[in-house]
Amino acid sequence: MKAARPTAGALSLRVVAVAFLGVMVALPLAAVVGSVLTGPGGVGTALHALLSRTARAALWLTVWTAVVVALVNAVMGTLTAWVLSRYHFVGKAILNAAIDLPFAIPTLVTGLMLVVLYGPQQVIGHLLAAHGLRLLFAPAGIILSLLFVTFPFVVRAVEPVLMDIDVDQEEAAATLGSSPFRTFVQVVLPALRPAVLTATLLTFTRALGEFGAVVVVAGNIPRRTLTAPVYVFGAIESGEPAAASAMSLVLVAVSAGLILAVDRYTRSRARAMGVRV
Amino acid sequence: MRGLARGLFASVVLLSASACGVGCRAAKAEDTGDTLIVGAYSAPREAFEEAVIPAFRAAWRRQTGRDIVVRASYLGSGAQARAIAQGFEADVAVLALDSDVDKLVKAALVAPDWRARTGGAGLMARSLVVIAVRSGNPKGIADWADLGRPGVEVLTPNPRTSGGAMWNLLAVYGSAAGDVKAKSAAVARVLDNVIVMDKAARESLVSFERGIGDAAITYEQEVHVARRAGRHYDYVVPPATAVIDVPMATVDRYADAHGRRAVAEAFVAFLRSRQGQALLGGFGFRPATGPIDLPGDARFPAAGHPFTAADFGGWKKIAPGLFAPDTGAITRVLDATREDREALR
Repeated sequence: MKAARPTAGALSLRVVAVAFLGVMVALPLAAVVGSVLTGPGGVGTALHALLSRTARAALWLTVWTAVVVALVNAVMGTLTAWVLSRYHFVGKAILNAAIDLPFAIPTLVTGLMLVVLYGPQQVIGHLLAAHGLRLLFAPAGIILSLLFVTFPFVVRAVEPVLMDIDVDQEEAAATLGSSPFRTFVQVVLPALRPAVLTATLLTFTRALGEFGAVVVVAGNIPRRTLTAPVYVFGAIESGEPAAASAMSLVLVAVSAGLILAVDRYTRSRARAMGVRV
Repeated sequence: MRGLARGLFASVVLLSASACGVGCRAAKAEDTGDTLIVGAYSAPREAFEEAVIPAFRAAWRRQTGRDIVVRASYLGSGAQARAIAQGFEADVAVLALDSDVDKLVKAALVAPDWRARTGGAGLMARSLVVIAVRSGNPKGIADWADLGRPGVEVLTPNPRTSGGAMWNLLAVYGSAAGDVKAKSAAVARVLDNVIVMDKAARESLVSFERGIGDAAITYEQEVHVARRAGRHYDYVVPPATAVIDVPMATVDRYADAHGRRAVAEAFVAFLRSRQGQALLGGFGFRPATGPIDLPGDARFPAAGHPFTAADFGGWKKIAPGLFAPDTGAITRVLDATREDREALR
């Protein structure tokens, strides 16, 4: 495509898109940054709150559970997409429809569903308790709820790429004596990598910010099961806006930093492969 | 930028106060008739909706011959106080903590003499901090110390988000003998066994009703409300526990601006009347004045050695002394891990 002088229509389209992004995304972000800078006590108060043991523990818990969730869903999501795109089986249409449900269900309801399922009055919860296992009100419960909430990302990102890949390539590899596993790793996976990477990242950032489901299943005990978003809620409710804004900013910064890093990585790879970006 | 930031927080608060969002708008449309807006914390919801408000409307019609619409919003006490301070124009506030009413005084919405004007220190009613237990009390819980025993799982809401939780922990703290260190250690022992800290008092009790935990620290009144709704379990009044004061006040600036001072004051007076107190009693509240024990009333077990917030200098002193970030005695225990708490003892 040749770069040409943009027409008035194309120009106004850009203005609209940038303005929309500015109002819907940049402005609220700027407000949080502003509230840290100008809040009572300023940056000092915000930093002090962030460095407290409770805040640090909350951030660490949030980050490591989000990492676990991103990795698990990267594997299971790719697997699910593979199965959906390569095999036919009874109930496939239903499974396909069910995958998107986590996005349609309010996350608070997700939390409640897990509490009902694994709570002490239900069969599963009762069995677990009898064996001294606790899923709810422990990091395991946080991970379960996040797995549910973020499940569609990887599946829905990888599935169209798989559909696009010519099955001929896989068949050729098989004819040449490659095992199905080797075919997957050497032929399919390289093509999937950008999609998996991006979707895993989305999963991670979404998990980082999840509140509704987590607040119900986590237990919210400081330094044990209190996550960063729930910490933010507590700070707002107890009249400490500086602490709330500061923690929010850290969560935003972690997500933004990762997204930028992966974006650079995929661009440089694309360039190395001779694709114009 | 600063205004923007404030606007953002206000909108967060308003979003969480969705009940208000609707109430506020509806109220504006009807400014001409007799209307009253009540901003309350969550515990009196059933008492207000099922008994107090209908009875007040009947009384108002008898007195004035006019109809009145009473719209009430229910939120956690701190959130409700903030909503009112940030523009939810309630005419009457009923909150869980003195210090939440004082936030409205600081915002120049409530006149500083609200306690004297409401009569009886500005209280609507009282209750006790109690321990809800499974029917038949299988774990044999009788006192706060029993909540610290190994194998007992305890529920109490998060004091950073719930005024009720502050009463709960004050009850544990205040009932322990000794100095600040000994009292903090008593709180630490209970907190070691807390498995869930829900956002609000009502939520915490709902978790308990769902089968989670062996005991829940709660208001006596909340157990009575649950019983009315057919959810039955026992509760224990520990030998020493805190008397919960429920303050109320007319929100003077809004009431005057709406021209509703007379209605607002009538509602407050009605709550304190013999009829109002009896209705509240039906929902488990103890009377605003007089002895906290009601020997003639089988619904209310005797409290051995009740103490009040005033015994600890009132919420003006308790809020910073026990619950301030970093420095409050109870905050320190909350911020400690189990291992740190071992060292505290």
